[in-house]
Amino acid sequence: MLEIRFHGRGGQGAVVASELLAQAAFLDGKRPQSFPFFGVERRGAPVTAYCRIDDREVRLRTSITRPDIVVVLEPGLLRAGSAMEGLKPDGILLVNSREEPAALPAPAGVRRASVDATTIALTHGLGTPMMPIVNTAILGALAAASGAVSLGALEQAIDRFVPAHPAENRAAARDGAAAVRVAPPLTAGHSRGASSAVARAPPLELPDAPMAVASSATIATAAWRTLRPEIDQRRCTRCNFCWKFCPDVAIELNAEGFPVVHLEHCKGCGICAAECPPGAIAMVAEG
Amino acid sequence: MVKLTIPATELVRPGHAACPGCGPALAMRLLLKGLGPRTVLSMPACCWTVIATPYPTTALGVALLDNPIESTGASISGIRAAVDALAIPDVTVVGFAGDGGTADIGLQALSGMLERRTNAIYVMYDNEAYMNTGIQRSGATPEGAWTTTTPVGGAGRGKPERKKDIMGIVLAHRPVYAATLNPSFPEDFVRKAAKAREIAGPRFLHVFAPCPPGWRYSSEETIEIGRLATDTGVFPLYEVADGHLRLTRRLSSLKPIGEYLGRQGRYAHLTPEERARLQAEVRSGWERILREDASGSPGGPFSSRSSHAATKGDTVEAA
Amino acid sequence: MTQIVMSGNSAQSYAALLARVQVIAAYPITPQTTIVEKLAEFVANGRLAAQYLQVESEHSALQSVVSASALGARTYTATSSQGLLLMHEVLHWASGLRVPVVMGVVNRAVAPPWSIGADHADTIAQRDTGWIQFYAESNQEVLDTVLEAYRIAEDPAVRLPAMVTEDAFYLSHTVEPVDVPSAETVDAFLPAREVRAILVPGVPARLGSFTGPIEYVGFRRDVARAMERVLPTLAAVEEDYARRTGRDHGGPLPTYRTEDADAVLLTMGTATTTARAVIDALREEGHRVGLAKLRVFRPFPVEAVRALAASVDRIGVLDRSFTFGPTGAAAMEVRSALYDASPRPLVSDFVAGIGGRDITPEAITRMFALLEGPEPPELTWIDLAAPEASADG
Ligand SMILES: Cc1ncc(C[n+]2csc(CCOP(=O)(O)OP(=O)(O)O)c2C)c(N)n1
Ligand code: SF4
Ligand code: SF4
Repeated sequence: MLEIRFHGRGGQGAVVASELLAQAAFLDGKRPQSFPFFGVERRGAPVTAYCRIDDREVRLRTSITRPDIVVVLEPGLLRAGSAMEGLKPDGILLVNSREEPAALPAPAGVRRASVDATTIALTHGLGTPMMPIVNTAILGALAAASGAVSLGALEQAIDRFVPAHPAENRAAARDGAAAVRVAPPLTAGHSRGASSAVARAPPLELPDAPMAVASSATIATAAWRTLRPEIDQRRCTRCNFCWKFCPDVAIELNAEGFPVVHLEHCKGCGICAAECPPGAIAMVAEG
Repeated sequence: MVKLTIPATELVRPGHAACPGCGPALAMRLLLKGLGPRTVLSMPACCWTVIATPYPTTALGVALLDNPIESTGASISGIRAAVDALAIPDVTVVGFAGDGGTADIGLQALSGMLERRTNAIYVMYDNEAYMNTGIQRSGATPEGAWTTTTPVGGAGRGKPERKKDIMGIVLAHRPVYAATLNPSFPEDFVRKAAKAREIAGPRFLHVFAPCPPGWRYSSEETIEIGRLATDTGVFPLYEVADGHLRLTRRLSSLKPIGEYLGRQGRYAHLTPEERARLQAEVRSGWERILREDASGSPGGPFSSRSSHAATKGDTVEAA
Repeated sequence: MTQIVMSGNSAQSYAALLARVQVIAAYPITPQTTIVEKLAEFVANGRLAAQYLQVESEHSALQSVVSASALGARTYTATSSQGLLLMHEVLHWASGLRVPVVMGVVNRAVAPPWSIGADHADTIAQRDTGWIQFYAESNQEVLDTVLEAYRIAEDPAVRLPAMVTEDAFYLSHTVEPVDVPSAETVDAFLPAREVRAILVPGVPARLGSFTGPIEYVGFRRDVARAMERVLPTLAAVEEDYARRTGRDHGGPLPTYRTEDADAVLLTMGTATTTARAVIDALREEGHRVGLAKLRVFRPFPVEAVRALAASVDRIGVLDRSFTFGPTGAAAMEVRSALYDASPRPLVSDFVAGIGGRDITPEAITRMFALLEGPEPPELTWIDLAAPEASADG
């Protein structure tokens, strides 16, 4: 049995990717299973989806904690740290990234693969620069890099189950398959990134009543972001519009009244840039 | 030192879990700037349940009680009763609920709270659909808007029915203060919240709250869409105090509604005829407000309505 | 202490008065109405300094006292039947938030068809909501138990909501003498609420919240643990109450003439009184029968039932409602408590008194006849036929 875990963000199509993979595997004659992590999905928030592929009926109804393959729909999600949790030592890490796979952090033994699915998706008109729809491109790459499904079955599944732009999505899958690059595993001495051990937390000590008193400011939402605001102080008139309108309380005014963006909390919505009267804020892509 | 036009104090904390560009998140931030730290909020199931972050953290710098989706009105009556019984000084009791939790399933509790004249502020943030459950239509969804339960395609043309007039329903209860607020106008927003706080009796704030995924637009457009809502007459800004209606943003002319509709994917399917019909609706609504503004009292079916005011409404314009 | 001839409903109101409740909210429903009317009177004439909320539904009644309790107020509400069913969602909120709300419930049948007769279906349907449930037999017990319920519900070891129930009309509208303790006695027994883990204006905190599975299961387990601490707390509270008032209602499962009994009938609420008289009569005839009153249904007094079972061969259970499962709810609990007992007594369930049907001495005598007979049935619906026309009818 092959266990594949997808990491994306709300609205990006990770759940659809996992389902499409399952449909394709079924067309290959396999017995697939796919389901999302049942959380509260907000656009931009990290989400997880699971896909199992076997020759026989899948007899497990649990989340995947020891995946054979981890698929990351966007490199920013590697910053969140949990993507590689539990990845098997001989597993595969596939990331949507412009970078060479050899530059990807990974535990020893893991085969690393990368594909620039964002560029492929945008070339075919799928999604917007802020929210490109990369799932079909990365599924093509997955088919080529892992053999989990055949490219033919994937294209067939896209044709049947993707209601919008099936032709463009099929083309994106083919381009993804052609463009994926694979780097050899790192040896033990050179590995980076999360270890593959699954952490076991001690039993919880809870108060009597469900009363939350800690501040949410301890939660970083930087990984939600695909674009980052950059403020050109020379053009800033200190009108503080950006501060007034930021829904994420991510902008503070410094002693001189200039805005400072707290990147750990900025979600990259672009409001500050859109509302800045002199146009002193630019939204730039996260690396 | 730069001059700020709204208070610097932040009672919404960063790290919250709203979508990028979330109107309700900004609305809460502005609201609490006006209401201050001695606010006790009661909140039903809605997007903000999630935005406030899971246990053990909270995104609000005030006391917050969760309540079932339909009982916000009753919850704030109970909180107010406890605050009065225990003689806790200087507390602002606030219900904060979505349009579904207010205008649909929570309408009975809201009516009860207004009728028994609970000394509290009820805030309805209006993202015009059930968003927390994934964009299903509510009574407050506007006519023509796409939602997942008013699909477009085949016979589907978006929501066939008109938006429920929550302000009309509320004003029929004669609250001491009621106002419409829009986060695209932060100074007016904070002023109304602060003003509501100073008045005793049942108060209601109808807050416009754009939602990028639910309305299908790109997150950076939240503020501009809000501005257009008011400047096209879709969401006029006014307040009713002491039984008198007063426009707080006067317009010499309305922008064409197409500027507002055209920015949102939920209206993308509308034909020119359908747009024209919505335009006519908005115009007649706006004219009614103008008449009421001129006559100084809410007219229409509630022409006799006046409120039991506890404090004289002030006439201070936005800073 | 004074003796006043009063109804069960008045006993609820007097208890709330003596408890110096601070927030009351209620919506009228027969036969609960006189409870809240009396309380409105107490508030209006200044005897009780409470906020009285005129709400538009039972749902809002419970919600408003739950929210008031979350801010530290001592609260009271009362309802019955349909009203309790409407409260169902908020019942879970009360226990989950750990607010010590106390509620009077007049047990009444649920519609359809409409019926205002006594029946336990309303409260039995709420057995899994995390509320402590007391079933009272007399107006005296109603008054005493409401006061005890506040002590238990507010005890830091417990912090769970509690309902004190009384049968429609058999108590709610029956007047009988009740000893009313003095305000000083009650103030000493039940001081002002000690407040813990509540919302404080000006202090950022979120009560309720939402969680993933890991914390969620922990909080559910907390409620279960608190429930386990109810009976030990009840024992201590009753002892204190007895010291101050001389009255002790005998814990969760008081018994009557069970010492040498072969067959014991388990009852809830007002059927108990009649059953006691029947037992005396049967004893005269030489039957070795006894009685146990299930005074607390949640938490279920498993240990007390096991102790009782150790000495009897047959247990009859009188259920004044039906679950539409295999048996009535009390019989199911008794059977489950005795699964590991050895020797295990036979358990026979009698469903009686549904929809306000009288539970007559004859009906109880018939239950004992079946229970002592050669093959006691697993389940018997007593009194399905219309009663015989009485001689003077
Ligand atoms: C009794 C009940 N029915 C349904 C739900 C599911 N539910 C949770 S949030 C929600 C949507 C609320 O919509 P709205 O009040 O408009 O707030 P929004 O989610 O748009 O912020 C619903 C229907 C619930 N929690 N309780
Ligand atoms: S992009 Fe600007 S407005 Fe949006 S979250 Fe970041 S700092 Fe705030
Ligand atoms: S769905 Fe809409 S209202 Fe809900 S958090 Fe996202 S942007 Fe805000």
